[in-house]
Amino acid sequence: MGNIIAVHSYKGGTGKTHISVNLAASFVKHGKKVCLMDLDFRAPSLATFFGHEKVECWLNDYLNGTCKIDKALIDISHRINDRGELFVVLANPSTEAIREMSAKDRKWEMRALGRLLALRNSLLNDKGFDYLIFDTSPGLQYSSINAIVSADLVIVAATFDRSDIEGTKRMLHELYDLFEKKTEIVMNRVLYDVSSKSGKGNVERKIKDMYQTPVLGMIPCFCDVARAEGAIIFVQEKPEHLFSKIVDKMANKIETSNSV
Amino acid sequence: MTKQEVLGRKPIRILEKIRENLEKLNEKMEIMIELQKRGKKDFQPLPDAPLDVMTLLSMPDHLRKTAMTVCRLGRATADEVAQQTHRARAVESGYLNQLVIMGHLKKERVGRKAYFYVEKENQG
Repeated sequence: MGNIIAVHSYKGGTGKTHISVNLAASFVKHGKKVCLMDLDFRAPSLATFFGHEKVECWLNDYLNGTCKIDKALIDISHRINDRGELFVVLANPSTEAIREMSAKDRKWEMRALGRLLALRNSLLNDKGFDYLIFDTSPGLQYSSINAIVSADLVIVAATFDRSDIEGTKRMLHELYDLFEKKTEIVMNRVLYDVSSKSGKGNVERKIKDMYQTPVLGMIPCFCDVARAEGAIIFVQEKPEHLFSKIVDKMANKIETSNSV
Repeated sequence: MTKQEVLGRKPIRILEKIRENLEKLNEKMEIMIELQKRGKKDFQPLPDAPLDVMTLLSMPDHLRKTAMTVCRLGRATADEVAQQTHRARAVESGYLNQLVIMGHLKKERVGRKAYFYVEKENQG
């Protein structure tokens, strides 16, 4: 059976969407069937990334109970051109939809949790998906905690920003631990000499000591990534770039891990 | 089935009935203990309380584990929950009944089995 991965962070702008998209593309390169879902209802970004002209049904509609998940699945495998399959389920980026989603009450959020949990059967069991990747909104938002509760693995995208470090530490102990979630850190925009093995080792030890949590990967600060302005799937378009190789290694680690 | 076989099954049925009644008695005692803790004399179920993630977060660890298992399974007996949490069935039964009293779960008896679930109407 497949697995659900939630990509979360304490602060915004840590690279969750970039990591989610490229991790999904890496799995697809390995021949997997992947569904990438935008659970950031306050600031949807996958709709812009993949385009949203012909969306029959949004993730918002599925969680509202007004459409089935099949209608929300958009097959974009042709854009990847690899062995696997890639589907996306988009969050509605309209201001009205964002306003509506931020006004939901506890009962609605509880029903939404039930619907996210049901994806394990409908997508992983029945449709044979290998991975569902939830790109979440930062911090303690209802939709993000619902995603975390539904996931098998939580990937925390963190940076060396001081407030991010403190917040991430708190979330590790007061959120992921409480739900007994397998959690791994991806340290993004790390400043180290990529050619020095000892430099990399030191940074990795520092992260492990800081969070007492396994490190899935460390992504150096690449100007090329910033220059791409979030418009390309790096893993697909620049497979030889170090960023792509690091994400690919992360995907391999997840695939070989038995407990996920 | 021969007469001997029918007679042979009778003690088993009696034992099963005793176990069933003991379980019911146990549940009632758990409810009484819970009511005593809350300082109430009569059984007045609390109004339905949505079992959302924020409620789960604020629960004590032992109850959260049970509640999350029911959320995941949808509808489950104490036995099924115990298999997932690796705790004793009787312990889970106690926690599940506490969650029912708190208004987070509903309980339904079907024959000998008691099923616990999150109320659909409760889900909005």
